[in-house]
Formats: sequence, C-alpha cells, structure tokens
Amino acid sequence: MKKILLCCSAGMSTSMLVQKMVKAAEERGMDCKIEAHPVSAFEEYIQEYDVCLLGPQVRFQLEELRKTASQYGKQIDAISPMAYGMMKGEEVLDQALSLMPK
Amino acid sequence: MKLYDKLMNVVENKIAPVAAKVGAQIHVRAMRDGFITAMPFIIVGSFILIFAFPPFAEDTTNAFGRAWLDFATENFDAIMMPYNMSMGIMTIFVSLGVAYSLARAYMMDGITCACLSLMSFLLICAPVTDGALPANHMGGTGIFTAVLSAFFAVELVRFLQKHNITIKMPEQVPPAIARCFEMLIPVLIVFMTLYPLSLFVQSQFDMLIPDAVMQMFKPLVSASNTLPAIIGALLLSQLLWFAGIHGAAIVVGLLSPIFLTNIGANTAAFVAGEPIPNIFTQPFWDFYIFIGGSGATLALAILMVFSRSVHLRSLGRMSAVPGFFQINEPIIFGAPIVMNPMLFVPFVFAPIVNAVIAFTAVKMGFVGMGVATTPWTTPAIIGASWGTGWTFAPVLLVVGLLIIDLLIYLPFFKMFEKQLLEDEKKVSADQEKQDVVEGTPATA
Repeated sequence: MKKILLCCSAGMSTSMLVQKMVKAAEERGMDCKIEAHPVSAFEEYIQEYDVCLLGPQVRFQLEELRKTASQYGKQIDAISPMAYGMMKGEEVLDQALSLMPK
Repeated sequence: MKLYDKLMNVVENKIAPVAAKVGAQIHVRAMRDGFITAMPFIIVGSFILIFAFPPFAEDTTNAFGRAWLDFATENFDAIMMPYNMSMGIMTIFVSLGVAYSLARAYMMDGITCACLSLMSFLLICAPVTDGALPANHMGGTGIFTAVLSAFFAVELVRFLQKHNITIKMPEQVPPAIARCFEMLIPVLIVFMTLYPLSLFVQSQFDMLIPDAVMQMFKPLVSASNTLPAIIGALLLSQLLWFAGIHGAAIVVGLLSPIFLTNIGANTAAFVAGEPIPNIFTQPFWDFYIFIGGSGATLALAILMVFSRSVHLRSLGRMSAVPGFFQINEPIIFGAPIVMNPMLFVPFVFAPIVNAVIAFTAVKMGFVGMGVATTPWTTPAIIGASWGTGWTFAPVLLVVGLLIIDLLIYLPFFKMFEKQLLEDEKKVSADQEKQDVVEGTPATA
C-alpha cells in the first residue's frame, strides 16, 4: 500500500485534490491511502506516510519541512501551482509516485 | 506595465521572503495554531449568545419573537452560562493552545507546558478573591497577556532544560513521574518572577498585569479599526497571494489576537447593552472584504462558469462551489491569478473597494459590528448575518458588494478570456493540422 500525505494551510483545498487523486488511483487499480492535513500537523502525520506533497501556497515552508522529513527518511516536494489549481489528480499522483522509495 | 514589474519585483524579492520567514517563525505559528485550538469554543460560545439576545425588537408583535424574548428574559442567567464557560473564558483555551503548540514545535512535552502556561496566566490575571477566580480578564481583554505568558512559560522550561537546571530522577522512575519532577523548578520560578511583578504592578499602578498589557497594545488595537490599517493588512495579504504565498494565513496569524480582542470587547458591550466599539473583526474581514476567499474571487468564479474558454469554464465549474464556502486556491493557482498581470488589478482592487464600502456602511450604521466569531468557511452571505447576531442588512451589503466585484472583475476577465480563446483556437488548429498530417498515409 502506498501512503501519500498532502499538506496545505488548513487542509481544505488539498482535500479536494485528494478526492481526484483517489479516483485516479482507483482507475489504475492501485492500493493507496491519500489524505490531506494542515501543515501545522505535518510532524504528527509524516511518520505514517511514505511521501508528502505540499500545496503551493505553503511552499515557503518546504526547506524547513524537508529537514524534518529527512529525519524520518521521507520524501517531500511541492505541487506545481498549475496542477494544483486545475486539480489534476493524475498528474499529482504521478508526482507522488515518482518520489516513492523504490 | 513598468510599474507592475517594479511592484512585483519588490514583492517577490523583498516582501515575500520576509513574510515567509514571519509565517514560518515558531512563535507566530504557535500563536496561530493556539488560536485555532480555541476557535470551536469561541464559535459555539458566541453562537449561544443569540439565544439570550433574540434578534427581535423589545416591542415585537411577532408571536414567535415575543415568546422567545420572554423566555430569554426569564432564563437569562441559565442561557448565558454556556457562553460564560466558552467565549467568556476564551483566553484559558488560548493560553493552553498557544503553549501546547509552542512546546510541540520545540519537541517538548505539550501538556506540562500548557499547564504551566495556564497557571502563569491565572496567577497574573485572576487572583482569587473570596474563593472565586475573577473572570473579567478571561475574555478579550486577556488575549495579549495569555499569549505573552504562554511564551514566557514555554521559553522558561526550554531555557532550564537547555542548561540542565532540572531535578533529575534515576532512570528506573517512570517517565510520567520524572516529567512531574522536572516541572517543579519552572513552577517555582514562575511564582518567584511573575507573582512579584504582578504585586508590583498592583501596588504601583493599582491595576493587574493584563490591564497594563492592554494599555501597551491599545494603540495597535485602536489603529486596527481605521480604514488605512484594514487596507494595509488586506494589501499585504493580497500581494503575498499574488506571489503564490498563503498571505491570509500569515496576515490573519498576526491579526488573530486583535480579532479576538476586538470581538471580545464587542460581545461584552453587546451583553451589557452598550454601544459596540470595534469595526475590524473576523466576520468583517472574511465576509465583506474577501467574499469567496482572498481577492473576493467568488465574482470571478461566477464569471468563469459562463466563459467561452474551455479552461476557464471547467475551472469555474470546479471552483464555484468551494468559492461559495470561501475556498479559492483552485482559482488562484488554476486561472492562474498568481503572477498573472491581467488579473492583478481586480484581485487587489476588488477587496479594497469592498473594504471601503463596508467600512462606510458600518460607520453609517447601515450594518452592525461583529459580535460573533464564525467559521471562515461559512458562505459570506450567511456568515455576514451570523457575525452581526443574525441581522438582515449585512446580507444586502454582501449581495451589493458581490455585484460590484462582478463589475470590477468583468473587463479584466474579458481581456484574459480573449487571450485564452486565441490560444485555445491556435491549439485546436495545430491539432487539426496534426490530424491531417497523421491521417495522410491512410488516405494516400
């Protein structure tokens, strides 16, 4: 099972994207757990997930969160603004999968 | 466009990095998260207020209104109790929440730090008299003190831990008990520092520390109720959003103590039947200035739904409903508005116009001032009414502002749409050409 964490300011708009990603994963027949949480709860959640993607609006915290993520041996990146705005579930899912540990 | 480029340059290279630093700063974040902890109590508490103060005039002839008014008068104290135990003591939740968040950010024990913070706060804000804790500083007037004492408590524990000034238990002692012993010294130090300070302020100035702190922050609080300050705050939020940074989270994070202080004073005046003092409250910010989210983009979402451009239409359909609930990241990043010169003017200008009109409307008494904190995801039209204790005039104001926003966005939207339509036409023409080329072998 692949576990993907999405974080934005309040976890609201990312949860819309989560729905699209879950749908994309289902269509591919993949076993995924994808959830959105506020970035303030990042540290509590990151341990349970394989990778984390940040909403572009909190991108400015990326470097700091990357330090924490690497402590737990996890990957983290920011979602491209366009893919985020257009809620491209497929594209963001691919991005998450590309960060997965091989 | 030259001015625009210059402005963007300043935002990108000067303001954005500083704001990002401020937004990620550990104390600012702890304050913001701490306030979020307190929010449900404040929202439900202020919601209850309406049962004690029905939105009907004293001489109403409406049977339902009459019955409600009589019931509320008869049971006033009983109805007010839940309010007093939530909104009325909101600083207790703030004190716990801020200290907990800050302690967690430092990877320290959250609950013990939160308790120490609460004790520090009560020590200086609510000295026991006749076996009771006075609650008059546990509402809006104690907010700044609660934040400061939370910072003090957590930093004190951190300092002592860092310098190993602590009572160490042998390793066999269970961690919970060891933690308890670790807190003995910090508790003692709080008593030895804050308490004498409180006694000193009481004897010298005949006031409690929260009163003194309020005096210090008074200029800030009264400045917050002026139009230039409101526009300044919204301008900063908008410029940051335009650079792709969550401006609202940063600006509201900094404004939240002011919002809570203001709404606390407003509710207290409302309960006491006095004139309500503060214009700048969370419902004013969320539901008059930012209808549909930062940039007042609900108007833009509506325009997009009817667009001839495929991109804008599909984005509009996707984001109109979230926009109704004040969520607009899809539009901001999808249109995109971020770094898009064509939408810069309305994105900044529409909220300013909203602020000016709403401010004037409040000043003229057309709409009341905020007396209730509401969830920010409430649709503006409902939230505006709710925030003022369920009056009707704010609904009219929001509708009026939305129409004005539509007019402000329209010309810029048309310009942007025209460009997209040309692009889309070119793409589909290219596509056709491609199809013809690919199709040639088959027909040949």
